Amino acid sequence: MNIRCFQRNFSAALPHVVPLQLPSPMETHFWYILPDEVKSVALLNQYSELLSPCERENVNRMGGDQLKKRALLARALVRTTIARYQMNCDINPRSLKFRKNIYGKPEVEWQNEDNVSPPPLHFNISHTSSMIACGVTVNVPIGIDVEEKQRKIKNNITAFAQRYFSPYEVKLLTAISDPEVQCQEFIKLWTLKEAYVKALGKGFSAVPFKTFTIQFRATATRNLHPPGISVSEGSEEIVESSNDPTNLTNNWQLALLEVAGSHYAAICMEKDKTVGGEANMPMKLTVWKTIPFVEDVCVSGTDAVLALGGIIEQ
Amino acid sequence: MASTTGASLKFTSLSSSFKQTPVPLRGVAHVNSVSFPSLGMRPRSLRFRVSCAAKPETVNKVCEIVRKQLALPDDSSITGESKFSALGADSLDTVEIVMGLEEEFGISVEEESAQSISTVQDAADLIEKLMDKNCA
Repeated sequence: MNIRCFQRNFSAALPHVVPLQLPSPMETHFWYILPDEVKSVALLNQYSELLSPCERENVNRMGGDQLKKRALLARALVRTTIARYQMNCDINPRSLKFRKNIYGKPEVEWQNEDNVSPPPLHFNISHTSSMIACGVTVNVPIGIDVEEKQRKIKNNITAFAQRYFSPYEVKLLTAISDPEVQCQEFIKLWTLKEAYVKALGKGFSAVPFKTFTIQFRATATRNLHPPGISVSEGSEEIVESSNDPTNLTNNWQLALLEVAGSHYAAICMEKDKTVGGEANMPMKLTVWKTIPFVEDVCVSGTDAVLALGGIIEQ
Repeated sequence: MASTTGASLKFTSLSSSFKQTPVPLRGVAHVNSVSFPSLGMRPRSLRFRVSCAAKPETVNKVCEIVRKQLALPDDSSITGESKFSALGADSLDTVEIVMGLEEEFGISVEEESAQSISTVQDAADLIEKLMDKNCA
C-alpha cells in the first residue's frame, strides 16, 4: 500500500499539489473526495479561491450548505486534479478555463501559448452526496459515474428498467428474486450506462439508455479475474464478433468498481487504436483518495478499491 | 459551515446571460436545445410558454413529488423557479422524478422533453401540455 501524506501550510501563496505524470495510454487515474472528511472552513475557503466567478455563482445558487459544499468540492477537485499533471506548461488550478463541447460535455479550454499543442488530457466528473470523483485519461475520452451502493430507488425497479433499459437488461434484472440484490444490480447497470453515455459526450438524447446493452461476460482465458463488460448496440446478447465495425464492444472499455466500501463507480474509456496489442487489454487503473492540498492516498490494490467487472489492472 | 467567500460579481438580472447554462434534467445540454450555453436567457422555457403557465395546483404537486424524491425537509423552499440541479437532483433523481410525474398525472414524457426541463415550472408546464394533448 502506497500512502503519501503531505501537510501543507495554508499560507497566502497558492498551495501546491504534488506533481504527477500524465496517465499512460489505456490508463485511467481516478481521484475521489469524501465530502464528510472535509470539515475545515479555512480549507473550503481556499478551494473557493480557485473557482472562477461564474463557478462561485453556481455554487452559491445551490440550495443549502451541504449542496453548496458539494458543488464547491466538485469544482475544486477538477481544478486541482488537472493542475497536478506535469505538462508543457505550468498549470495554476485557478487559471484553468473550462468550456462545454457542442453537446454540453465539459472540457478544458487550453490557453494556446506559443503554439504549443494542448495536452491530450481528458477528464470527467461525477458526484453523489457522499463522494465526488474525477477520472483522467490521455488521448481518449472518458466517462465516469458513481452511486451509493445502498441507494434506495423510489420507483418499482422492474417498471423503471422496462422504461429505460434494454430488453436484455430487463430480462436479467427481473430474474433476480432478492430485492436488495436486484436494487444493487440495477445501480451497477445504471452507473455503467451513465459512464458510457458520458464518455461518448454527445448528450443523453444521442444515445438513449434503451438503445444499447451492457453485458457482463466471462472471458475464457482469464477466469480468475472479474469478467469483462461490454456494450453493444441494440438489445441482443453480444456475439463475439471482434471484427464487426458496428459492434461497439470494440471501441469502448468498461470497468466497474466498488470504492471505499460504499459506492459503485463505473469507468468507460475509448480504446486507444494507436496502442497495439491484444483485443482485450486490461484497463490500467490507479485510484487516489484525496483532500486537495492536504492529503493524497493511493488506494489502488487495497480494500478501498474492489474490481467488480471489467478487465482491470491496478 | 463555511460561506464561500471571495469576490463574487454582482449580476443584474439581464446579465444572467453570462451565467452557465442551467443544467438540464439529464445533466447534458441537448444538441438541438434552443438554449446554447453562450445565450442564457432560458429560451428553452419559451417552448412551454405559448399559452399561460401551469396552474398553481400542478406546480404544487410537482413540488411535492420533487420534495419526496429528494427527501427534502418540509421547511425547505421549493417553488416554480427552483432548479432541479440546485435542489441536488442527480440524473437518477431526475429520471425518478419524471417517472413519478408520469404516474401522478397519467402522462408519458419523451426523453427529449424530459431533458429540456430544468425547473419545477418547466415540469408543470410540460405536464399540462401533455395532459391537454391527452384530452384533445
